[in-house]
Amino acid sequence: MRILVVEDDALLGDAIQAGLKQAGFAVDWVKDGAQADQALSTEPYDASVLDIGLPRLSGLDVLRRLRQRKATTPVLLLTARDTVDDRIQGLDSGADDYLVKPFDMGELAARLRALIRRASGNTAPALHAGEVTLDPSAHAATCRGQAVDLSATEFSLLHALLLNAGKVLSRAQLEEKLYAWGEEVESNAIEVHIHHLRRKLYPELIETIRGVGYLVR
Amino acid sequence: MKHPSLKKRLLLAVLAAITLVWVAATAITYLDAREELGEVLDAHLAQSASLLAAQAPHELDEIDTDHAPQLHKYSRRVAFQIWEQGKTLRLHSANAPQERLADKDHGFSDRIIDGHPWRVFSTWDEENEHLIQVAERSSAREHLARDIAGNLLLPLLIALPVLALLLWLAVTNALRPLNGLTQEVERRDPDNLASLDIASAPAEVVPLIKRLNRLFGRIRETFDNERRFTADAAHELRTPVAAIKAQAQVARAASDEAGRMHALDNAIAGCDRATHLIEQLLTLARLDAARENAMESCSLRQIASEVIAELAPAALEKNAHIELAESDDATVRGLPALLRILLRNLIDNAVRHNPAETLVTVRVSLEAGRPAITVSDNGPGVSGEDLERLSQRFYRPLGTAASGSGLGLSIVRRIAEIHDAEFRISTAEASRGLRIAILFPAA
Repeated sequence: MRILVVEDDALLGDAIQAGLKQAGFAVDWVKDGAQADQALSTEPYDASVLDIGLPRLSGLDVLRRLRQRKATTPVLLLTARDTVDDRIQGLDSGADDYLVKPFDMGELAARLRALIRRASGNTAPALHAGEVTLDPSAHAATCRGQAVDLSATEFSLLHALLLNAGKVLSRAQLEEKLYAWGEEVESNAIEVHIHHLRRKLYPELIETIRGVGYLVR
Repeated sequence: MKHPSLKKRLLLAVLAAITLVWVAATAITYLDAREELGEVLDAHLAQSASLLAAQAPHELDEIDTDHAPQLHKYSRRVAFQIWEQGKTLRLHSANAPQERLADKDHGFSDRIIDGHPWRVFSTWDEENEHLIQVAERSSAREHLARDIAGNLLLPLLIALPVLALLLWLAVTNALRPLNGLTQEVERRDPDNLASLDIASAPAEVVPLIKRLNRLFGRIRETFDNERRFTADAAHELRTPVAAIKAQAQVARAASDEAGRMHALDNAIAGCDRATHLIEQLLTLARLDAARENAMESCSLRQIASEVIAELAPAALEKNAHIELAESDDATVRGLPALLRILLRNLIDNAVRHNPAETLVTVRVSLEAGRPAITVSDNGPGVSGEDLERLSQRFYRPLGTAASGSGLGLSIVRRIAEIHDAEFRISTAEASRGLRIAILFPAA
């Protein structure tokens, strides 16, 4: 799951990036509103953590622009302002959730998972496909009732495929979801991870659509 | 302390004035009446004597003095004597004594007879045979004059309470707007600092209301500033606290040693930043309590060299150099402790927000007679838009190092304000770096 973090404070941004990575997200971090606007309009993020007080373009302006583009990317606002009016303004500007500083890293990750789940049309915290069940909050996958040990990348890949069950995802789309900027991606990395998943689960789970991408039904 | 009542004072003053004028008028009337009465009664006395003189020689024996009828209440106080040749008492009224009423043979005289003052008129008849003396008790005149004065005073005694009542009502009515104002101010809760309505106020109270409204305005401004500042400060502290908490949680969950150390170092840096922010906030709060009357003569050059000596070692660790430009000294009236804080913030900003190897130049000078202190650097400078917003509270330009509080220039501006000094921010001509000048008022 790829997240855009927009936070101008160096120490806090660093912590959010590190914390969300620990929770299994791929994280890009930008430090001002203009860069955030640019990133959100070019990259397919699964969700965004947006600070309100930002240089150059405020978080609320970034949010309004995003919604004007009809983008449905879930956005969690991060702010030091905690009055009801502030919250109403934030949510009315198009935010999906709201978290007041200081916050708990675990809660931030959980809220992001919930936002992503809702955005994909699922309401149950666990995802099912065939004989496989995946629980994003516990970072656990089971196959035919047995726990399966997956690497962080394999887990994210499976998560992305299950969230988009019934849809074909291209290799490029999967790469975008799995890797943050600046991370080295081997040209056949996705194929390798798909191969591992098929071996650890069962081969028929993930179908290959030749020349297009992969599909879970 | 007893507060004088305006109503009571007005009432007493008006009543006292009325009484005074009335009593004075009565006294004048009394004196005037006494004099007029004296003349009228003297004339009356003289006429009585001449009547007696005309009759006396022929009809003396026919006058039955002992049984003269009492014709008037005042007649008992009138007496007469007729002396033959001035020596033998031929005739007298019942209340007249046996000795002569007056020693004088002619005109008016005053005598005391049986302890009472009498007014006597003496005259001879046409043949100079009989001396006629007519007397009247002086007290009769006094009584008359007093009666007249008394008749004037009586209405005053009746009028005073009535006047007092009417005045009380009038004054109460006139002071009603003042009572209304009092109640309006009384009813207010302390948060209500809205202006008082001036439209219905009487002219005398308008200046008071205007000043009250001005005071309310100033207090409102101070309150708003304080409130905004407290809110801003609390919110600004949330970010470093959030960073510390998040870094600590990252450290706890880190699976590798390098990651944990990185997060812990960042948590400590976050604590340092929160501490710096708190210190700056406290400095700013204390500035508002600065007493202008404690100002003394300060040498800007001396302050500059002290602050530079204090900051240079830490700056050198960042390979930044601070120098005091060769210049004349300038003296200003100020609070040395605050001027040191001002300069420390300016130099600290220049070192903190510039890359290593920065040269910070401090210059003390006289600009058109105004003492000035200038801090400039040879760093990358600040863009025009940021230049304007730079001294706003908590503003940190993009890419600012994490350790800034965004309060340094607010503190500098506030101290400049306390010293009536002008704050100028610009781009240094020579280096394109940032240049901040504080211009003090000319001595």
